[in-house]
Amino acid sequence: MLTALVLLPAISAVIVALVPSRRREIHLPLGIALSVMPLALAGYLFSVFEPSPGFQYIDRVAWYEPWGIDWFLGVDGISLPMVALTALFVPIALAASTSITMRRKEFVVSTLLLEAGLIGAFLALDLFLFFVFFEAMLIPMYFIIGIWGSERRVYAAVKFFIYTAFGSALMLAAIIGLALIHATEEGFASFALTDLVGLDLSVGAERWLFAAFAIAFAIKVPLFPFHTWLPDAHVEAPTAGSVMLAAVLLKLGTYGLLRFNLALFPETSVDAVPIMAALAVVGIIYGAVVAIVQPDLKKLVAYSSVSHLGFIVLGTFALTSGGLQGAVIQNVNHGLTTGALFLLVGMIYDRRHTKKIADFGGLQKTVPLLAGFFLFMTFASIGLPGLNGFVGEFLVLIGSFPTLPSPTIVAAFGVVLAAIYLLWAYERVFTGVPDKEENRVLSDLSPREISVLAPLAVLVLVIGLYPNLLLDKITPSTEAVLDHIEEQTDFVIPERGRLDGVFVAEGSG
Amino acid sequence: MIAPPEISWMAIAPDLALAVGAALVLLVDVQWKPLPRVLGWVVGVTLAVVTGLTVLQWLEGTDAAAAGDTGSLMAFSGMITMDGFTVFSRLALITATALGVTGGWRFVAGLGRRGAEALALVLLATAGFSLMVASNNLIMMFLGLEVGSIALYVLAGLARERRESEEAAIKYFLLGSFASALFVYGVALIYAGTRQFEILEIRHYLGNFIVTNPAVIYVGLGLVIAGLGFKVSAAPFHAWAPDVYQGAPAGLVGYMAAVAKVAGFAAIARILLTALPELEATWLPVVAGISVLSMLLGSVLALVQGDVRRLLAYSGVAHAGFIMTGVVGGSTEAILFYLAIYSIQLIGAFAVVSVVSGPDAAGSSLDRYRGLGRRSPVLASSFAVLLLGMGGLPLTSGFVAKFGVFTEAWARGYEWLVIVAVVASVLAFAFYIRVIVVMYMDDDGEEESPRVGPEGWVLAVAVGTTILWGIFPSSLLDLAADALPL
Repeated sequence: MLTALVLLPAISAVIVALVPSRRREIHLPLGIALSVMPLALAGYLFSVFEPSPGFQYIDRVAWYEPWGIDWFLGVDGISLPMVALTALFVPIALAASTSITMRRKEFVVSTLLLEAGLIGAFLALDLFLFFVFFEAMLIPMYFIIGIWGSERRVYAAVKFFIYTAFGSALMLAAIIGLALIHATEEGFASFALTDLVGLDLSVGAERWLFAAFAIAFAIKVPLFPFHTWLPDAHVEAPTAGSVMLAAVLLKLGTYGLLRFNLALFPETSVDAVPIMAALAVVGIIYGAVVAIVQPDLKKLVAYSSVSHLGFIVLGTFALTSGGLQGAVIQNVNHGLTTGALFLLVGMIYDRRHTKKIADFGGLQKTVPLLAGFFLFMTFASIGLPGLNGFVGEFLVLIGSFPTLPSPTIVAAFGVVLAAIYLLWAYERVFTGVPDKEENRVLSDLSPREISVLAPLAVLVLVIGLYPNLLLDKITPSTEAVLDHIEEQTDFVIPERGRLDGVFVAEGSG
Repeated sequence: MIAPPEISWMAIAPDLALAVGAALVLLVDVQWKPLPRVLGWVVGVTLAVVTGLTVLQWLEGTDAAAAGDTGSLMAFSGMITMDGFTVFSRLALITATALGVTGGWRFVAGLGRRGAEALALVLLATAGFSLMVASNNLIMMFLGLEVGSIALYVLAGLARERRESEEAAIKYFLLGSFASALFVYGVALIYAGTRQFEILEIRHYLGNFIVTNPAVIYVGLGLVIAGLGFKVSAAPFHAWAPDVYQGAPAGLVGYMAAVAKVAGFAAIARILLTALPELEATWLPVVAGISVLSMLLGSVLALVQGDVRRLLAYSGVAHAGFIMTGVVGGSTEAILFYLAIYSIQLIGAFAVVSVVSGPDAAGSSLDRYRGLGRRSPVLASSFAVLLLGMGGLPLTSGFVAKFGVFTEAWARGYEWLVIVAVVASVLAFAFYIRVIVVMYMDDDGEEESPRVGPEGWVLAVAVGTTILWGIFPSSLLDLAADALPL
């Protein structure tokens, strides 16, 4: 089943590519229709997934036997939400791309290939395979930014590509190193995560390998100070590109830290907590402060991403039950809300052809529906109780406090800052009197745009009111990660289990 | 009474067939003055025969190796071998020749009456290099090297109406013969130190005797590495490459570069890994140093080129460095796989160059590729796949190749070399991506779309194998793994 989930988008891409270029009107609808299939499959997977600590639905075939490389896919509570999120956002991003008229076929093909790469990366349990997907998806994303972006698209695309390629190159070296250490210890080469977690690494080797993986993922997240490619990429990318980037692509970084760094290098992960927490907190505050002063709405949302992703990293390296659960659920939440905010910014841009906050004002009067959705997503992003952002941030903060008290206190200010920059932006764009002539004649959301936004809004509400829907599936897997760390190190994880009991009562009540 | 030596015709049959084919091309041309197409058929048949003979050697060799009878893989008193390493390298050379002739067909046909010369020279060059990869004897190796190289010097100057072509030929000739001289002097010194020319005997000697004066061998070793380093355009012996790649006729440059690299690296691997493993401690640091220098210098200089052919030349320097990491790793499997897929991609890339700027032109400014993605989507996307393949993107054969050599080097304890190599790969991405940017993201540019001729076949093969071996590498890797030197 998982193989089908990876191959479906790739096959869809081929199907779209076979449609002649001059039949321009069918590429996009066909792409959307085809991308609903993996969504349906992912939804089915989500419904039949039984919460348990290990990997499920494993597909394993030898790829090249002498090197120990396998086509090895599996899903657990950490990757399941990510896969569902990816499958959800592709039809949405495509449906939001009607304004792309140039080379539409190539655009649809790139997006579908990107989906195949992303789902593959989330499901891969063989490090070689993971690397293949991790790297291969750069190309469609590179084209999406570079061909369909705005003025400085080439610069942004190349910067994106080189940054990420540099990070993953180091990771490649580390992967080779790990497999060879396995070959020396166990007598055969293996790239399988399940084999490699049992390795007994020397302290020095573990440090280096951890650093290589951490840098690759920190660039992807992006963590301060590796974040400079992100605002450029976001601002220049077309709406669908920004949405895929924010909602899913960046999650590979946070997912990678959780899946690979914590599992493969438990000792160093424990030792690296202060560094990672510091970077996360700096990112939270720095991203928020920079977001406040942005004159460009899209850039503002981009920097808010930097800030919000800091929470996820903080939760991950808090190494507590609540922290990890919060990190995973916040991955989903950030995807939903930031993805929606980028969609909304794109819709505003389609109407006014500007993203400058100063050009707007009083849009509430002319486009009330759009304003309503924007306000709703803003609240979700700030963490208003009852919406999804609250669940994630609250879990992260309360989960991080026992192990990282002072970073958590500082990070909490990030929540306040988020309220400042987002609400202030809302105020400047939507409230007041529409004093500019152009702003008075805008049309409100079309049914197509509502159908794009509505599913996201529903999910925001559902997760906010009933987080157990996700937490039930996530918790056994995050607990397994913590068990592994406790086994391998003498790190004592405080308040296991109790915390989520308290929280679940609160969240569902 | 000395018994007349037994002649094992089978051992040299492929090389002979190539030489006969070359003669046949010339004779047919003189006698009947046929259309170029007829000569093309002669070349095609020759290559088919050579392929058949080589496969036959492979089958015989596998049987003999399975029976533990390595002696029967030797011929001419140990001068020639028919081991898997020979056969695999020769198949790579034949593939390069077939693709090279197809890709350069418009150039050859455009030469008119001189087309036969070009074809004969191509076959001769292949014959020389084929002998070189088969030789188990340093003198034979030198002979093969010279036959092949001299044919290549002439090929570089074939478009003699153009100054650049002449310049390329002269430069290639002068520096190339200098390199050959270094090589042969190195061979002489190794002989002085070991009293042996034969690869296996040298290993035997070094393994069993204490060398009283190792300095002679060291100097010889250094000269041999330098001489072959020239041929494969490894830094710091790469200075000729950009000018030759830029000036020689576009149709044939890919072929010239590819066969020189395959044969050069096959010789390096045979000498260092088979003859001189005892001196590993001496040559490993040297080869690693050449590798680092080639990778970094090649990548950095390729970044700033404004001409696609010079870019490919410098990227070739970088690739020489990557393959050197495989030599450090000591695995012929990884080296052969890399050589096979890189030579195909290189010829494919030059087929694109020859389509875009004409088969006999010099240079190929990056400006001519502006907006190619819009003008001829198929050509541009093929080129993009080849460039990404050379860059080593996963799901292309280039990635498997890089992964192979890096893994071997890491396993040998050269972790630092692998780290430098992966950083250089990112730099390499940067300049390959630059070409893709120009093709896809710059919209202005010429309006006419270039016409693709027989180069289309080359592109189909190159792109097809790049993707096929990127996703299912085992078919070729298994072959390469069997292709062990004696």
